[in-house]
Amino acid sequence: MRVVVIGLDCAAPDLIFGKLKEYLPNLTSMTEDGIYGRLRSTDPPITVPAWMVMTTGRTPGELGLYGFRSRVGNSYNKIKIPMSTDIKFDTVWDILGKRNKKSIIIAVPPSYPPKPLPGLMVSDFLTPDRDKEFTYPPGLKREILRDFPDYQFDVKFRKPEKEKILQEIFNMTDTRFRMAEKFLDEKEWDFFFMVEIGIDRVHHAFWRYIDETSHLYEDNKEMRDKFIGYFQMVDDHVGRIVSKLDDDTVVLVVSDHGAKAMKGAFAINQWLIKEGYLKIKNDSIKEGSSLEEVDVDWSNSKAWAWGGYYARIFLNIKGREEQGIIEKENVREEINKLKSKLIGIRGPDGEEWKTRVFEPEEVYEEVNGDRSDLFVYLDDLNWRAAGTIGYKTDYLLENDTGPDDAVHDYDGIYIIYRKGKKIGKRIDSSIYRVAPTILELYRVRKRYGIKGEPMEGLYLVE
Amino acid sequence: MADEKKYTTVSIPTPLFEKIQNKIKDTGFTSVSDYVTFVLREILAHGSSDEAFNEEDEKKVKDRLRSLGYLD
Repeated sequence: MRVVVIGLDCAAPDLIFGKLKEYLPNLTSMTEDGIYGRLRSTDPPITVPAWMVMTTGRTPGELGLYGFRSRVGNSYNKIKIPMSTDIKFDTVWDILGKRNKKSIIIAVPPSYPPKPLPGLMVSDFLTPDRDKEFTYPPGLKREILRDFPDYQFDVKFRKPEKEKILQEIFNMTDTRFRMAEKFLDEKEWDFFFMVEIGIDRVHHAFWRYIDETSHLYEDNKEMRDKFIGYFQMVDDHVGRIVSKLDDDTVVLVVSDHGAKAMKGAFAINQWLIKEGYLKIKNDSIKEGSSLEEVDVDWSNSKAWAWGGYYARIFLNIKGREEQGIIEKENVREEINKLKSKLIGIRGPDGEEWKTRVFEPEEVYEEVNGDRSDLFVYLDDLNWRAAGTIGYKTDYLLENDTGPDDAVHDYDGIYIIYRKGKKIGKRIDSSIYRVAPTILELYRVRKRYGIKGEPMEGLYLVE
Repeated sequence: MADEKKYTTVSIPTPLFEKIQNKIKDTGFTSVSDYVTFVLREILAHGSSDEAFNEEDEKKVKDRLRSLGYLD
């Protein structure tokens, strides 16, 4: 038995199983013959940590990984981008490697710098550039750049050139799949896991052409066709991969989180300033300034926030932060007060929001690493958070940085498919079941501290 | 005595040993051990994690993430 995992970053159930279904013959026939459903992501539903949860079976709390940045020490503005070396638990391919299984691992975040394994690894979109050592073994890099000279880790988003970017994303995805298909043909492997990040980039930048409910919706046939064309290309590659496999191979198509229309960005630090939590010394603040660009009066500030698809709030605690002012014994009271204020935030027209606020300890049994004091899902993630300040309003209908069409949603997708099996069942599942499912398919029964269970109905494909 | 501490033994499959033996015939490598040591040093010299992320690299990745809306 072999397992092939095709990760489609951000693939959303409403598109793959719904709106785009008729355009995706391969994925659709896999759902008709296999098991499929919604895959509940991690909290927070963010690319990093979600893929590592999928590949280690550990929670973000255990991994100490809560997003695209971690705070260095208890500093106010020193941040660190997660690297492969920050992952202190075995991934499924590490476990399989110990059992003499060879793996092909492509672009699973975070995998830079690539770690040695029996098999080969190409690092992910957090790789700085192609000059770096982005493969294991190192010699593989030369082979990739010879055969796929246009190989890209990611795209950089530039607003005025949107159409050109769609073409760039298309080429990036197409090239990565062609490389993966070549490896499947030519390399020796027992396990395969690839992640394609392009789907996420297409959603964030072009969602307005596919979702009539979005306030940014544009009825633009050409762009809508291009959006669909991108997914047809992905579907075509999935079909090509599946056609290479025998009936002793199980295919898993998964995504780390879903997507939905972004309603706007809420300037969270600006709100903290208004509520008296954050003090800035500058007399005037340029629109869109980050906290690093202004003079923060830390010794008079109680809290500050990071933006992104969810907000992280840090309290300025005496003895923890350099200029902390909240006494340790008052932390609980301050947290409770701030929580209820955050939950009470209303929308731009005074409408009620379904904001969710929690402390890491409320969602994870174990909390490691540099976690924030609060996680905030503004209006149930419909509004993203902007960390920048200096705006006339707290409600920005366009994003402060980057693309502004889509935010993350809790549910991604999964499909389990094996040639020759006719199952056709929908069973919604959880991201915590992915690693146990892979290990179960290889009959690895030792738990390695992983708490999740294999997916329901797995016996049907075995 | 000092030499004994400098070297240790690792096991490799006999067919691989023989393959290497054939490969280094009439080359500058005098033994399989020499060749294996050379190759392993070459591999380890690549991608050492000390130089994985310098300041400039980190800036590149941060700029890209910022442009994608993950940092602000």
